[in-house]
Amino acid sequence: MSTTIETTERERIAFAAVELARNPERPRALQVISAITSGWTELRGDRLFGDDRAVVGGPARLGGRSVMVIGQEKGTDPMTRALHNFGMPHPEGYRKAVRLMRQAEKFSMPVLCLVDTPAAHAGIGAEERGQAWAIADALLCMLGLRTPTVSVVLSEGGSGGALALALADRVLALENAVYTVAPPETCAAILYRDAGQRARAAAALRPGVETAHRIGLVDELIPEPPPGAHAHAPLVIAAIRGAVIRNLDELCEIPIDELVAQRQRRYREAGG
Amino acid sequence: MDRADGVTSRRQAPRNRLQAPGPELRPTAPTTGTVACPRCKRRFVAERYAADLNVCSECGHHGVVGAAQRIAQLADPNTAETLVVEVGDRDPLGFDDGVPYPQRVVRARERTGLHEAFLTARASLAGNPVVLACMDFEFLGGSLGSGAGEIFARACELAIAEQRALVAVCTSGGARMQEGIASLAQMARCSAAVAEVIAARLPYISILGDPCFGGVTASFAVQSDVIIAEPGARIGFAGGRVIEQATHDKLPDGFQTAEFLLAHGMVDAVVERGRLRDTVGTLIRIYSGRA
Repeated sequence: MSTTIETTERERIAFAAVELARNPERPRALQVISAITSGWTELRGDRLFGDDRAVVGGPARLGGRSVMVIGQEKGTDPMTRALHNFGMPHPEGYRKAVRLMRQAEKFSMPVLCLVDTPAAHAGIGAEERGQAWAIADALLCMLGLRTPTVSVVLSEGGSGGALALALADRVLALENAVYTVAPPETCAAILYRDAGQRARAAAALRPGVETAHRIGLVDELIPEPPPGAHAHAPLVIAAIRGAVIRNLDELCEIPIDELVAQRQRRYREAGG
Repeated sequence: MDRADGVTSRRQAPRNRLQAPGPELRPTAPTTGTVACPRCKRRFVAERYAADLNVCSECGHHGVVGAAQRIAQLADPNTAETLVVEVGDRDPLGFDDGVPYPQRVVRARERTGLHEAFLTARASLAGNPVVLACMDFEFLGGSLGSGAGEIFARACELAIAEQRALVAVCTSGGARMQEGIASLAQMARCSAAVAEVIAARLPYISILGDPCFGGVTASFAVQSDVIIAEPGARIGFAGGRVIEQATHDKLPDGFQTAEFLLAHGMVDAVVERGRLRDTVGTLIRIYSGRA
Protein backbone atom coordinates (compact mmCIF):
# COMPACT_ATOMS: atom_id res chain seq x y z
CA MET A 1 0.00 0.00 0.00
CA SER A 2 2.77 2.41 0.90
CA THR A 3 4.43 1.71 -2.47
CA THR A 4 1.27 2.74 -4.30
CA ILE A 5 1.07 5.98 -2.37
CA GLU A 6 4.73 6.78 -2.96
CA THR A 7 4.41 6.05 -6.68
CA THR A 8 1.33 8.21 -6.93
CA GLU A 9 3.09 11.02 -5.11
CA ARG A 10 6.11 10.73 -7.40
CA GLU A 11 3.82 10.86 -10.44
CA ARG A 12 1.95 13.85 -9.05
CA ILE A 13 5.21 15.75 -8.55
CA ALA A 14 6.48 14.81 -12.00
CA PHE A 15 3.33 15.95 -13.73
CA ALA A 16 3.20 19.14 -11.67
CA ALA A 17 6.61 19.96 -13.17
CA VAL A 18 5.17 19.48 -16.67
CA GLU A 19 2.22 21.72 -15.77
CA LEU A 20 4.57 24.36 -14.41
CA ALA A 21 6.41 24.35 -17.75
CA ARG A 22 3.05 24.74 -19.49
CA ASN A 23 1.98 27.69 -17.35
CA PRO A 24 0.48 30.16 -19.84
CA GLU A 25 2.08 33.11 -18.04
CA ARG A 26 5.62 31.98 -18.83
CA PRO A 27 7.55 34.16 -21.27
CA ARG A 28 6.67 33.38 -24.89
CA ALA A 29 8.93 33.73 -27.92
CA LEU A 30 7.42 36.95 -29.30
CA GLN A 31 7.51 38.51 -25.83
CA VAL A 32 11.20 37.63 -25.45
CA ILE A 33 12.02 38.85 -28.95
CA SER A 34 10.35 42.22 -28.43
CA ALA A 35 12.02 42.63 -25.03
CA ILE A 36 15.60 41.72 -25.87
CA THR A 37 16.03 42.81 -29.49
CA SER A 38 15.53 46.01 -31.42
CA GLY A 39 14.36 46.40 -35.00
CA TRP A 40 13.09 42.84 -35.24
CA THR A 41 11.38 42.57 -38.61
CA GLU A 42 9.24 39.52 -39.11
CA LEU A 43 9.83 37.66 -42.36
CA ARG A 44 7.13 35.25 -43.34
CA GLY A 45 6.59 32.26 -45.57
CA ASP A 46 8.60 29.26 -46.66
CA ARG A 47 8.51 30.22 -50.39
CA LEU A 48 7.15 26.74 -51.14
CA PHE A 49 3.65 26.41 -49.75
CA GLY A 50 2.66 28.84 -47.05
CA ASP A 51 3.40 30.61 -43.81
CA ASP A 52 3.30 28.74 -40.54
CA ARG A 53 2.52 31.02 -37.61
CA ALA A 54 3.78 28.48 -35.04
CA VAL A 55 7.26 29.58 -36.11
CA VAL A 56 8.13 33.27 -36.27
CA GLY A 57 11.40 34.69 -37.44
CA GLY A 58 13.34 37.62 -38.78
CA PRO A 59 16.49 39.73 -38.44
CA ALA A 60 17.08 42.02 -35.47
CA ARG A 61 19.74 43.75 -33.41
CA LEU A 62 20.84 42.22 -30.13
CA GLY A 63 23.75 43.28 -27.92
CA GLY A 64 25.45 45.28 -30.66
CA ARG A 65 25.10 42.56 -33.31
CA SER A 66 22.76 41.75 -36.14
CA VAL A 67 21.19 38.38 -35.47
CA MET A 68 18.54 36.15 -37.02
CA VAL A 69 15.93 35.33 -34.39
CA ILE A 70 13.61 32.36 -34.92
CA GLY A 71 11.07 31.26 -32.35
CA GLN A 72 8.26 28.81 -31.75
CA GLU A 73 5.30 30.83 -30.52
CA LYS A 74 2.48 29.29 -28.50
CA GLY A 75 0.29 32.36 -28.19
CA THR A 76 -0.96 34.06 -25.04
CA ASP A 77 -4.76 34.01 -25.22
CA PRO A 78 -7.35 31.78 -26.90
CA MET A 79 -7.22 33.75 -30.15
CA THR A 80 -3.43 33.92 -30.49
CA ARG A 81 -3.04 30.36 -29.28
CA ALA A 82 -5.25 29.19 -32.15
CA LEU A 83 -3.46 31.53 -34.58
CA HIS A 84 -0.07 30.07 -33.63
CA ASN A 85 -1.45 26.50 -33.49
CA PHE A 86 -0.37 26.19 -29.83
CA GLY A 87 3.24 26.30 -30.95
CA MET A 88 2.99 23.12 -32.98
CA PRO A 89 4.71 23.76 -36.32
CA HIS A 90 3.75 22.39 -39.72
CA PRO A 91 6.48 21.56 -42.26
CA GLU A 92 6.28 25.15 -43.56
CA GLY A 93 7.50 26.38 -40.17
CA TYR A 94 10.66 24.29 -40.33
CA ARG A 95 11.23 25.23 -43.98
CA LYS A 96 10.86 28.91 -43.11
CA ALA A 97 13.34 28.43 -40.27
CA VAL A 98 15.83 26.79 -42.66
CA ARG A 99 15.35 29.61 -45.17
CA LEU A 100 16.11 32.20 -42.50
CA MET A 101 19.10 30.25 -41.18
CA ARG A 102 20.59 30.12 -44.69
CA GLN A 103 20.03 33.84 -44.97
CA ALA A 104 21.79 34.39 -41.64
CA GLU A 105 24.73 32.34 -42.91
CA LYS A 106 24.89 34.49 -46.03
CA PHE A 107 25.13 37.69 -43.99
CA SER A 108 27.36 36.15 -41.29
CA MET A 109 24.70 36.80 -38.67
CA PRO A 110 24.48 34.51 -35.64
CA VAL A 111 21.20 32.64 -35.20
CA LEU A 112 19.11 32.65 -32.02
CA CYS A 113 16.36 30.02 -31.79
CA LEU A 114 13.69 30.16 -29.10
CA VAL A 115 12.30 26.66 -28.60
CA ASP A 116 8.80 26.29 -27.19
CA THR A 117 6.64 23.50 -28.58
CA PRO A 118 4.85 20.46 -27.18
CA ALA A 119 5.61 18.68 -30.48
CA ALA A 120 5.48 19.11 -34.23
CA HIS A 121 1.90 19.19 -35.47
CA ALA A 122 0.34 15.78 -36.15
CA GLY A 123 -2.14 16.12 -38.99
CA ILE A 124 -3.01 15.07 -42.51
CA GLY A 125 -1.64 18.18 -44.21
CA ALA A 126 1.56 18.08 -42.18
CA GLU A 127 2.16 14.50 -43.30
CA GLU A 128 1.22 15.18 -46.93
CA ARG A 129 3.74 17.99 -47.07
CA GLY A 130 6.51 16.00 -45.41
CA GLN A 131 6.72 16.83 -41.71
CA ALA A 132 9.50 14.27 -41.21
CA TRP A 133 11.39 15.57 -44.26
CA ALA A 134 11.18 19.17 -43.05
CA ILE A 135 12.50 18.24 -39.58
CA ALA A 136 15.28 16.04 -40.97
CA ASP A 137 16.37 18.89 -43.23
CA ALA A 138 16.38 21.39 -40.36
CA LEU A 139 18.58 19.02 -38.32
CA LEU A 140 21.14 18.81 -41.12
CA CYS A 141 20.95 22.56 -41.68
CA MET A 142 21.67 23.37 -38.04
CA LEU A 143 24.52 20.84 -37.88
CA GLY A 144 26.34 22.36 -40.83
CA LEU A 145 25.41 26.04 -40.58
CA ARG A 146 28.49 28.21 -40.98
CA THR A 147 27.52 30.84 -38.44
CA PRO A 148 27.29 30.73 -34.62
CA THR A 149 24.01 29.44 -33.20
CA VAL A 150 22.35 29.65 -29.79
CA SER A 151 19.07 27.98 -28.83
CA VAL A 152 17.03 28.68 -25.71
CA VAL A 153 14.41 26.20 -24.50
CA LEU A 154 11.84 28.54 -22.97
CA SER A 155 9.19 26.19 -21.61
CA GLU A 156 8.49 23.03 -23.55
CA GLY A 157 10.90 21.19 -25.81
CA GLY A 158 8.93 18.29 -27.19
CA SER A 159 10.08 15.69 -29.71
CA GLY A 160 11.90 16.13 -32.99
CA GLY A 161 9.71 19.19 -33.39
CA ALA A 162 11.84 20.93 -30.76
CA LEU A 163 15.15 19.29 -31.68
CA ALA A 164 14.87 20.72 -35.19
CA LEU A 165 15.58 24.19 -33.74
CA ALA A 166 17.89 23.05 -30.94
CA LEU A 167 21.06 21.64 -32.53
CA ALA A 168 22.95 24.82 -31.72
CA ASP A 169 26.51 25.56 -30.61
CA ARG A 170 25.10 26.48 -27.23
CA VAL A 171 21.76 25.30 -25.91
CA LEU A 172 20.38 27.16 -22.91
CA ALA A 173 17.21 26.27 -21.05
CA LEU A 174 15.10 27.94 -18.39
CA GLU A 175 15.45 25.71 -15.35
CA ASN A 176 11.74 24.87 -15.07
CA ALA A 177 11.41 23.99 -18.73
CA VAL A 178 10.89 20.39 -19.86
CA TYR A 179 12.66 18.69 -22.75
CA THR A 180 11.26 15.34 -23.75
CA VAL A 181 11.31 12.75 -26.52
CA ALA A 182 7.55 13.30 -26.86
CA PRO A 183 4.85 14.94 -24.73
CA PRO A 184 3.94 12.76 -21.70
CA GLU A 185 0.50 12.15 -23.25
CA THR A 186 2.08 10.66 -26.40
CA CYS A 187 4.61 8.65 -24.39
CA ALA A 188 1.78 7.20 -22.30
CA ALA A 189 -0.16 6.28 -25.44
CA ILE A 190 2.90 4.49 -26.84
CA LEU A 191 4.17 2.85 -23.65
CA TYR A 192 0.95 2.03 -21.82
CA ARG A 193 -1.52 2.36 -24.70
CA ASP A 194 -3.38 4.94 -22.62
CA ALA A 195 -2.81 8.68 -22.98
CA GLY A 196 -4.56 9.13 -19.62
CA GLN A 197 -1.51 7.74 -17.84
CA ARG A 198 0.44 10.92 -18.62
CA ALA A 199 1.50 11.40 -14.98
CA ARG A 200 2.97 7.92 -14.91
CA ALA A 201 4.81 8.64 -18.16
CA ALA A 202 6.03 11.98 -16.81
CA ALA A 203 7.46 10.26 -13.73
CA ALA A 204 9.20 7.61 -15.84
CA LEU A 205 10.62 10.02 -18.42
CA ARG A 206 12.28 12.59 -16.11
CA PRO A 207 11.19 15.43 -18.39
CA GLY A 208 13.11 18.18 -16.58
CA VAL A 209 15.83 19.96 -18.54
CA GLU A 210 18.46 18.69 -16.09
CA THR A 211 18.12 15.27 -17.77
CA ALA A 212 18.78 16.86 -21.16
CA HIS A 213 21.69 18.70 -19.55
CA ARG A 214 23.14 15.46 -18.25
CA ILE A 215 23.09 13.73 -21.65
CA GLY A 216 24.55 16.70 -23.53
CA LEU A 217 21.60 18.26 -25.33
CA VAL A 218 21.57 21.31 -23.03
CA ASP A 219 24.66 23.26 -21.91
CA GLU A 220 23.40 25.79 -19.45
CA LEU A 221 20.36 26.23 -17.22
CA ILE A 222 19.05 29.73 -16.67
CA PRO A 223 17.78 30.06 -13.07
CA GLU A 224 14.20 31.10 -12.39
CA PRO A 225 13.34 32.84 -9.12
CA PRO A 226 10.65 30.88 -7.22
CA PRO A 227 7.88 30.10 -7.95
CA GLY A 228 9.02 30.32 -11.56
CA ALA A 229 9.31 32.42 -14.72
CA HIS A 230 5.54 32.97 -14.87
CA ALA A 231 5.78 35.20 -11.80
CA HIS A 232 8.99 36.98 -12.78
CA ALA A 233 8.89 37.42 -16.54
CA PRO A 234 10.97 40.66 -16.72
CA LEU A 235 13.72 39.22 -14.50
CA VAL A 236 13.87 35.96 -16.42
CA ILE A 237 13.85 37.69 -19.80
CA ALA A 238 16.76 39.87 -18.65
CA ALA A 239 18.61 36.71 -17.61
CA ILE A 240 17.94 35.18 -21.04
CA ARG A 241 19.31 38.31 -22.71
CA GLY A 242 22.45 38.25 -20.60
CA ALA A 243 23.10 34.56 -21.18
CA VAL A 244 22.51 34.78 -24.93
CA ILE A 245 24.82 37.78 -25.37
CA ARG A 246 27.56 36.19 -23.25
CA ASN A 247 27.40 32.98 -25.29
CA LEU A 248 27.36 34.85 -28.59
CA ASP A 249 30.41 36.86 -27.44
CA GLU A 250 32.27 33.61 -26.83
CA LEU A 251 31.12 31.86 -30.00
CA CYS A 252 31.96 34.79 -32.27
CA GLU A 253 35.61 34.47 -31.15
CA ILE A 254 35.87 30.92 -32.50
CA PRO A 255 36.95 30.45 -36.15
CA ILE A 256 33.94 29.17 -38.09
CA ASP A 257 35.58 25.95 -39.34
CA GLU A 258 36.46 25.00 -35.79
CA LEU A 259 32.99 25.95 -34.54
CA VAL A 260 31.20 23.74 -37.09
CA ALA A 261 33.59 20.84 -36.43
CA GLN A 262 33.04 21.18 -32.66
CA ARG A 263 29.28 21.25 -33.16
CA GLN A 264 29.24 18.13 -35.32
CA ARG A 265 31.51 16.25 -32.91
CA ARG A 266 29.34 17.25 -30.00
CA TYR A 267 26.11 15.95 -31.55
CA ARG A 268 27.86 12.82 -32.83
CA GLU A 269 28.36 11.96 -29.14
CA ALA A 270 25.05 13.24 -27.77
CA GLY A 271 22.90 10.85 -25.79
CA GLY A 272 25.58 8.45 -24.54
CA MET B 1 39.86 -7.91 -38.12
CA ASP B 2 40.16 -5.41 -35.31
CA ARG B 3 39.89 -1.73 -35.93
CA ALA B 4 41.29 1.00 -33.78
CA ASP B 5 37.92 2.73 -33.56
CA GLY B 6 36.36 -0.18 -31.75
CA VAL B 7 34.57 -1.67 -34.75
CA THR B 8 35.33 -5.33 -34.99
CA SER B 9 34.15 -7.51 -37.75
CA ARG B 10 34.01 -11.15 -38.44
CA ARG B 11 33.08 -13.20 -41.42
CA GLN B 12 30.07 -15.27 -40.62
CA ALA B 13 28.50 -18.32 -42.15
CA PRO B 14 27.10 -17.58 -45.60
CA ARG B 15 24.03 -15.50 -45.00
CA ASN B 16 23.89 -13.86 -48.33
CA ARG B 17 21.85 -16.43 -50.11
CA LEU B 18 18.30 -15.53 -50.93
CA GLN B 19 16.88 -17.57 -48.16
CA ALA B 20 16.19 -17.29 -44.47
CA PRO B 21 19.27 -17.05 -42.28
CA GLY B 22 20.06 -20.05 -40.14
CA PRO B 23 18.25 -20.68 -36.86
CA GLU B 24 21.29 -19.46 -34.91
CA LEU B 25 20.55 -15.97 -36.21
CA ARG B 26 16.80 -15.78 -35.88
CA PRO B 27 15.68 -18.52 -33.56
CA THR B 28 12.01 -17.75 -34.15
CA ALA B 29 12.12 -17.21 -37.91
CA PRO B 30 10.26 -20.17 -39.33
CA THR B 31 12.39 -22.16 -41.72
CA THR B 32 10.18 -25.19 -41.70
CA GLY B 33 6.43 -25.61 -41.81
CA THR B 34 4.22 -23.03 -43.42
CA VAL B 35 3.69 -19.28 -43.10
CA ALA B 36 0.63 -17.27 -44.04
CA CYS B 37 0.66 -14.01 -46.01
CA PRO B 38 -0.52 -11.40 -43.48
CA ARG B 39 -2.78 -9.80 -46.11
CA CYS B 40 -4.37 -12.51 -48.24
CA LYS B 41 -3.79 -15.32 -45.71
CA ARG B 42 -2.56 -17.66 -48.43
CA ARG B 43 -0.18 -20.21 -46.89
CA PHE B 44 3.28 -20.94 -48.21
CA VAL B 45 5.97 -23.43 -47.39
CA ALA B 46 8.32 -21.35 -45.22
CA GLU B 47 11.32 -22.02 -47.42
CA ARG B 48 9.48 -20.88 -50.52
CA TYR B 49 8.22 -17.69 -48.84
CA ALA B 50 11.78 -16.85 -47.75
CA ALA B 51 13.10 -17.57 -51.24
CA ASP B 52 10.50 -15.06 -52.48
CA LEU B 53 12.02 -12.50 -50.04
CA ASN B 54 8.88 -12.65 -47.86
CA VAL B 55 6.81 -11.25 -50.72
CA CYS B 56 3.50 -12.99 -51.30
CA SER B 57 3.47 -14.46 -54.81
CA GLU B 58 -0.31 -14.32 -54.72
CA CYS B 59 -1.14 -10.73 -53.71
CA GLY B 60 2.29 -9.06 -53.77
CA HIS B 61 2.23 -8.10 -50.09
CA HIS B 62 5.70 -7.30 -48.80
CA GLY B 63 6.10 -9.02 -45.44
CA VAL B 64 8.39 -8.02 -42.59
CA VAL B 65 12.05 -8.90 -43.10
CA GLY B 66 14.57 -9.16 -40.27
CA ALA B 67 17.87 -7.30 -40.41
CA ALA B 68 19.98 -10.41 -40.99
CA GLN B 69 17.68 -11.55 -43.76
CA ARG B 70 17.84 -8.06 -45.30
CA ILE B 71 21.58 -8.23 -45.47
CA ALA B 72 21.33 -11.65 -47.08
CA GLN B 73 18.84 -10.30 -49.63
CA LEU B 74 20.89 -7.26 -50.62
CA ALA B 75 24.50 -8.44 -50.46
CA ASP B 76 26.15 -10.42 -53.25
CA PRO B 77 26.66 -14.10 -52.37
CA ASN B 78 29.43 -14.71 -49.83
CA THR B 79 30.40 -11.06 -49.46
CA ALA B 80 28.63 -9.89 -46.29
CA GLU B 81 30.64 -9.51 -43.11
CA THR B 82 28.44 -8.40 -40.27
CA LEU B 83 30.03 -5.81 -38.01
CA VAL B 84 30.07 -6.46 -34.32
CA VAL B 85 29.82 -3.06 -32.69
CA GLU B 86 30.32 -3.11 -28.96
CA VAL B 87 27.77 -0.78 -27.44
CA GLY B 88 27.33 -0.82 -23.69
CA ASP B 89 23.92 -1.49 -22.21
CA ARG B 90 22.11 1.71 -21.44
CA ASP B 91 19.22 2.49 -19.17
CA PRO B 92 19.50 6.24 -18.59
CA LEU B 93 16.12 6.50 -16.84
CA GLY B 94 16.09 3.23 -14.88
CA PHE B 95 12.92 2.59 -16.83
CA ASP B 96 10.46 0.02 -15.54
CA ASP B 97 6.90 -0.39 -16.80
CA GLY B 98 6.32 -3.72 -15.10
CA VAL B 99 9.27 -5.24 -16.92
CA PRO B 100 12.60 -3.44 -16.36
CA TYR B 101 13.90 -2.01 -19.64
CA PRO B 102 17.23 -3.95 -19.55
CA GLN B 103 15.18 -7.13 -19.29
CA ARG B 104 13.14 -6.12 -22.35
CA VAL B 105 16.39 -5.68 -24.25
CA VAL B 106 17.60 -9.11 -23.16
CA ARG B 107 14.34 -10.68 -24.32
CA ALA B 108 14.56 -8.89 -27.67
CA ARG B 109 18.09 -10.20 -28.08
CA GLU B 110 16.98 -13.74 -27.35
CA ARG B 111 14.06 -13.46 -29.72
CA THR B 112 15.94 -11.93 -32.65
CA GLY B 113 19.51 -13.10 -32.12
CA LEU B 114 20.55 -9.46 -32.62
CA HIS B 115 22.43 -7.19 -30.26
CA GLU B 116 20.37 -4.12 -31.14
CA ALA B 117 17.70 -2.88 -33.55
CA PHE B 118 20.41 -2.18 -36.13
CA LEU B 119 22.59 -4.77 -37.83
CA THR B 120 25.36 -3.52 -40.09
CA ALA B 121 27.61 -5.23 -42.58
CA ARG B 122 30.42 -4.58 -44.98
CA ALA B 123 29.42 -6.13 -48.29
CA SER B 124 29.40 -6.04 -52.03
CA LEU B 125 26.06 -5.05 -53.57
CA ALA B 126 25.72 -5.81 -57.28
CA GLY B 127 29.49 -5.51 -57.40
CA ASN B 128 29.68 -2.22 -55.48
CA PRO B 129 31.51 -1.91 -52.18
CA VAL B 130 28.90 -0.83 -49.62
CA VAL B 131 28.14 -0.61 -45.94
CA LEU B 132 24.68 -1.97 -45.20
CA ALA B 133 22.83 -0.69 -42.13
CA CYS B 134 19.58 -2.56 -41.60
CA MET B 135 16.96 -2.07 -38.92
CA ASP B 136 14.97 -4.91 -37.42
CA PHE B 137 11.35 -4.18 -36.54
CA GLU B 138 11.17 -7.28 -34.35
CA PHE B 139 13.74 -5.75 -32.00
CA LEU B 140 11.56 -3.51 -29.77
CA GLY B 141 9.72 -2.18 -32.79
CA GLY B 142 12.95 -1.16 -34.49
CA SER B 143 13.08 1.69 -32.01
CA LEU B 144 16.00 4.07 -32.04
CA GLY B 145 17.87 4.02 -28.74
CA SER B 146 21.43 5.05 -28.01
CA GLY B 147 22.80 1.60 -28.84
CA ALA B 148 21.12 1.54 -32.25
CA GLY B 149 22.14 5.15 -32.90
CA GLU B 150 25.77 4.38 -32.13
CA ILE B 151 25.74 1.36 -34.44
CA PHE B 152 24.37 3.47 -37.30
CA ALA B 153 26.94 6.21 -36.65
CA ARG B 154 29.75 3.64 -36.74
CA ALA B 155 28.40 2.32 -40.04
CA CYS B 156 28.64 5.85 -41.47
CA GLU B 157 32.21 6.15 -40.23
CA LEU B 158 33.15 2.80 -41.73
CA ALA B 159 31.69 3.89 -45.07
CA ILE B 160 33.87 7.01 -44.95
CA ALA B 161 37.01 5.17 -43.81
CA GLU B 162 36.69 2.64 -46.64
CA GLN B 163 35.08 4.95 -49.22
CA ARG B 164 32.01 2.75 -49.55
CA ALA B 165 28.48 3.76 -50.43
CA LEU B 166 26.02 3.68 -47.54
CA VAL B 167 22.76 1.76 -47.87
CA ALA B 168 20.31 1.92 -44.97
CA VAL B 169 17.14 -0.13 -44.64
CA CYS B 170 14.84 1.71 -42.25
CA THR B 171 11.87 0.20 -40.46
CA SER B 172 10.99 1.57 -37.08
CA GLY B 173 8.27 2.83 -34.83
CA GLY B 174 10.52 5.81 -34.00
CA ALA B 175 12.36 6.82 -30.86
CA ARG B 176 12.79 4.32 -28.03
CA MET B 177 10.59 5.88 -25.37
CA GLN B 178 12.21 3.81 -22.61
CA GLU B 179 15.41 5.86 -23.03
CA GLY B 180 13.57 9.18 -22.93
CA ILE B 181 15.50 12.24 -24.05
CA ALA B 182 18.60 10.11 -24.80
CA SER B 183 16.64 8.50 -27.62
CA LEU B 184 15.74 11.94 -29.00
CA ALA B 185 19.46 12.73 -29.01
CA GLN B 186 19.96 9.83 -31.43
CA MET B 187 18.26 11.88 -34.14
CA ALA B 188 21.07 14.38 -33.62
CA ARG B 189 23.77 11.71 -33.48
CA CYS B 190 22.60 9.92 -36.63
CA SER B 191 22.15 13.21 -38.48
CA ALA B 192 25.68 14.25 -37.52
CA ALA B 193 26.96 10.93 -38.85
CA VAL B 194 25.05 11.42 -42.11
CA ALA B 195 26.47 14.94 -42.38
CA GLU B 196 29.94 13.36 -42.46
CA VAL B 197 28.89 10.94 -45.21
CA ILE B 198 27.52 13.88 -47.19
CA ALA B 199 30.76 15.83 -46.66
CA ALA B 200 32.74 12.80 -47.89
CA ARG B 201 30.54 12.85 -51.03
CA LEU B 202 29.70 9.17 -50.80
CA PRO B 203 26.39 7.94 -52.19
CA TYR B 204 23.80 7.30 -49.47
CA ILE B 205 20.66 5.40 -50.41
CA SER B 206 17.88 4.67 -47.97
CA ILE B 207 15.23 2.00 -48.35
CA LEU B 208 12.10 2.52 -46.28
CA GLY B 209 10.22 -0.61 -45.26
CA ASP B 210 6.91 -1.05 -43.46
CA PRO B 211 6.54 0.68 -41.07
CA CYS B 212 8.82 3.69 -40.75
CA PHE B 213 7.79 6.52 -38.40
CA GLY B 214 8.80 9.18 -35.92
CA GLY B 215 12.36 10.16 -35.25
CA VAL B 216 13.78 7.66 -37.72
CA THR B 217 11.84 9.10 -40.64
CA ALA B 218 12.53 12.61 -39.34
CA SER B 219 16.28 12.09 -39.49
CA PHE B 220 18.60 9.69 -41.30
CA ALA B 221 15.89 7.79 -43.21
CA VAL B 222 15.24 10.80 -45.44
CA GLN B 223 18.64 12.54 -45.36
CA SER B 224 19.84 10.30 -48.18
CA ASP B 225 20.59 11.07 -51.84
CA VAL B 226 17.89 8.65 -52.95
CA ILE B 227 14.86 7.53 -50.94
CA ILE B 228 13.34 4.25 -52.06
CA ALA B 229 10.15 2.89 -50.49
CA GLU B 230 8.85 -0.65 -50.63
CA PRO B 231 5.35 -1.13 -52.07
CA GLY B 232 2.63 -0.58 -49.50
CA ALA B 233 5.03 0.51 -46.76
CA ARG B 234 3.50 2.93 -44.26
CA ILE B 235 5.84 5.87 -43.75
CA GLY B 236 5.45 9.15 -41.92
CA PHE B 237 6.14 11.23 -38.84
CA ALA B 238 3.04 10.83 -36.69
CA GLY B 239 1.10 7.58 -36.92
CA GLY B 240 -2.31 7.55 -38.55
CA ARG B 241 -4.08 6.55 -35.34
CA VAL B 242 -2.47 9.43 -33.46
CA ILE B 243 -3.59 11.87 -36.15
CA GLU B 244 -7.14 10.53 -36.19
CA GLN B 245 -7.41 10.82 -32.42
CA ALA B 246 -5.86 14.29 -32.31
CA THR B 247 -7.77 15.87 -35.19
CA HIS B 248 -10.86 13.65 -35.63
CA ASP B 249 -10.25 13.94 -39.38
CA LYS B 250 -10.96 11.00 -41.62
CA LEU B 251 -7.72 9.82 -43.16
CA PRO B 252 -7.64 9.76 -46.97
CA ASP B 253 -7.39 6.39 -48.73
CA GLY B 254 -3.87 5.06 -48.83
CA PHE B 255 -2.69 7.78 -46.42
CA GLN B 256 1.03 7.52 -45.61
CA THR B 257 1.63 4.58 -47.94
CA ALA B 258 4.70 4.48 -50.15
CA GLU B 259 2.51 5.20 -53.18
CA PHE B 260 0.87 8.17 -51.43
CA LEU B 261 4.30 9.60 -50.60
CA LEU B 262 5.49 9.07 -54.17
CA ALA B 263 2.49 11.06 -55.42
CA HIS B 264 3.31 13.84 -52.91
CA GLY B 265 6.93 14.03 -54.01
CA MET B 266 8.44 12.64 -50.80
CA VAL B 267 10.20 9.55 -52.14
CA ASP B 268 12.14 8.97 -55.35
CA ALA B 269 10.74 5.57 -56.23
CA VAL B 270 8.63 2.67 -55.04
CA VAL B 271 10.59 -0.46 -55.82
CA GLU B 272 9.56 -4.08 -55.36
CA ARG B 273 11.80 -6.03 -53.04
CA GLY B 274 12.99 -8.35 -55.79
CA ARG B 275 14.36 -5.38 -57.73
CA LEU B 276 16.04 -3.56 -54.85
CA ARG B 277 19.52 -4.97 -55.34
CA ASP B 278 19.59 -4.13 -59.06
CA THR B 279 18.12 -0.67 -58.58
CA VAL B 280 20.44 0.30 -55.73
CA GLY B 281 23.41 -1.25 -57.51
CA THR B 282 22.75 0.72 -60.69
CA LEU B 283 22.42 3.98 -58.79
CA ILE B 284 25.66 3.49 -56.85
CA ARG B 285 27.50 2.59 -60.04
CA ILE B 286 26.28 5.76 -61.74
CA TYR B 287 27.02 8.03 -58.77
CA SER B 288 30.49 6.50 -58.53
CA GLY B 289 31.14 7.37 -62.17
CA ARG B 290 31.53 3.77 -63.28
CA ALA B 291 30.00 2.16 -66.34
